[in-house]
Amino acid sequence: MTSIEVAALTKEYGSTRAVDHLTFTVAPGKVTGFLGPNGAGKSTTMRLVLGLDRPTSGTATVGGRTYASLSDPLREVGALLDAQNAHASRTGRNHLRALAVSNGLPVRRVDEVLEESGLASAAGRRIKTYSLGMRQRLGIAAALLGDPPVIMLDEPSNGLDPEGIIWIRELLRRLAREGRTVLVSSHLMNETAAFADHLVVLGRGRLLADTPMREFLDEHSHARVRVRSTEQTRLRQALVEQGYVAEFAEDGKLTVEDAKAEDIGALAAREGVAILELADEQASLEQAYLALTAQDTEFAAAPARP
Amino acid sequence: MTTSAVLRSEWIKIRSVRASWGSLLSVLVATLAITLLAFPLIGQAEADNPEYDALFSAFYAINFAQIAAISFGATAFSSEFAHGALRVSLAAVPRRGLFYAAKTAVIGAAALVLGLITSFATFLVGQLFMGEYAIGLGDEGALSACVGAGIYLALMALFASGLTALLRSGVAVLSLLIPFVLIVGFVIGDMNAGVAEFLPDRAGQVVLHSDYDGSLGPWPGLGVTALWAAAAVGAGWWAVRRRDA
Repeated sequence: MTSIEVAALTKEYGSTRAVDHLTFTVAPGKVTGFLGPNGAGKSTTMRLVLGLDRPTSGTATVGGRTYASLSDPLREVGALLDAQNAHASRTGRNHLRALAVSNGLPVRRVDEVLEESGLASAAGRRIKTYSLGMRQRLGIAAALLGDPPVIMLDEPSNGLDPEGIIWIRELLRRLAREGRTVLVSSHLMNETAAFADHLVVLGRGRLLADTPMREFLDEHSHARVRVRSTEQTRLRQALVEQGYVAEFAEDGKLTVEDAKAEDIGALAAREGVAILELADEQASLEQAYLALTAQDTEFAAAPARP
Repeated sequence: MTTSAVLRSEWIKIRSVRASWGSLLSVLVATLAITLLAFPLIGQAEADNPEYDALFSAFYAINFAQIAAISFGATAFSSEFAHGALRVSLAAVPRRGLFYAAKTAVIGAAALVLGLITSFATFLVGQLFMGEYAIGLGDEGALSACVGAGIYLALMALFASGLTALLRSGVAVLSLLIPFVLIVGFVIGDMNAGVAEFLPDRAGQVVLHSDYDGSLGPWPGLGVTALWAAAAVGAGWWAVRRRDA
């Protein structure tokens, strides 16, 4: 199976280090979410994998080979970098035809991917008439053209309507089930949580995390309980006396940090406060991600390393 | 990945962008239109002038063809710089040497075919209106002038495409080259001596003259233009190979 291997990858633009000694591997058979704030180096890393930019040092390979050495790269790696990257006066079909022909792909693949991405009826129109969502679909169609074992998509949900977002989610899950290597960057946390099995998180060009989604959530979020009772003020008083941090949320519920529902329930019972609602809060990817990047920001505020 | 696959892909790219395909066709269309307008009206007007060069006059409309050829060379390459299309192209054909050579070859070949058709067409159509002054392909220098004009147009297209690859902008190249071929020729006028003779357009047009008293002959003249085109194509390659896409 084919993986994407990034080893000690560094890219400098002038004095700015966009990618800083990055090492990770994207494994087949799952969807890897590629997260990080704007400017963290996600797109740069993808361009380096595709050989579009030259690394300052380090390597990026696909299945152990550099992208430029692949004989028909579209059969090996399908990539969407930016949906705007297509000459706007071509028709969607001609854009795909030129790509297919260059890699010796049969022209019927063009119609197949147009069909699959829901663009068949717009194939004869010029790309300048496409909406952003349609351009995303065209970019994804181009990525699927060579039926490649490795798929790399930069912000594929950008500009898609709700239907399109469901489509891309199911497509990514299916591609992973088929055993392909799928790397997807996104800034939408809920979206990423819906399709990713594994996460690679960047911050200012460096690797912050490379872990399965479940572990990431466990590691970067802490237990929290939300509780509603008949006597919120008294309950809060009792919680604080026990050493809990309990705050009122906007909806009037109490949020208790680092707590489990069973402990809070028992405490309320001892105090004789009637519980109306009590639940452990599910850690969201967004919270876990923000917790991680907050640490990174603190690190950034520290004095410069020697 | 085969060379022929990449060549076919590049041809599809030229065909499928109206600006590049249109400017390629306009090499022929504009030239024939100018020929059909000018020759019936003023074709014979200067024919009695002792300075008259029947051969060079026959290629009057090539002045316009070269502008179309330059536009074609520039737009055929600049389409890669519009909307970041180059990234998609290089992701499909990551061997930049193959990509650049194939694109250059398709631009050169397309311009050569259209250039040859254009030069023969403008010569033959123009002479239909020359009455007693008409010359034919059998006249001295006529056939080589037709072939030379076609080659000249292809070289100007390559010159423009190489510069476009270097400057990454069709607009920059067009605003550089079109004033250059339109104005510099007039400003320098009939000055045949010196550096001016070695400018790409002046040198390449020696082949259109039946009688030329400069130091360059017709084929060495085209050779000088070819060197200009080769330098531009080489500089473009340096830029495409070296730069991040």
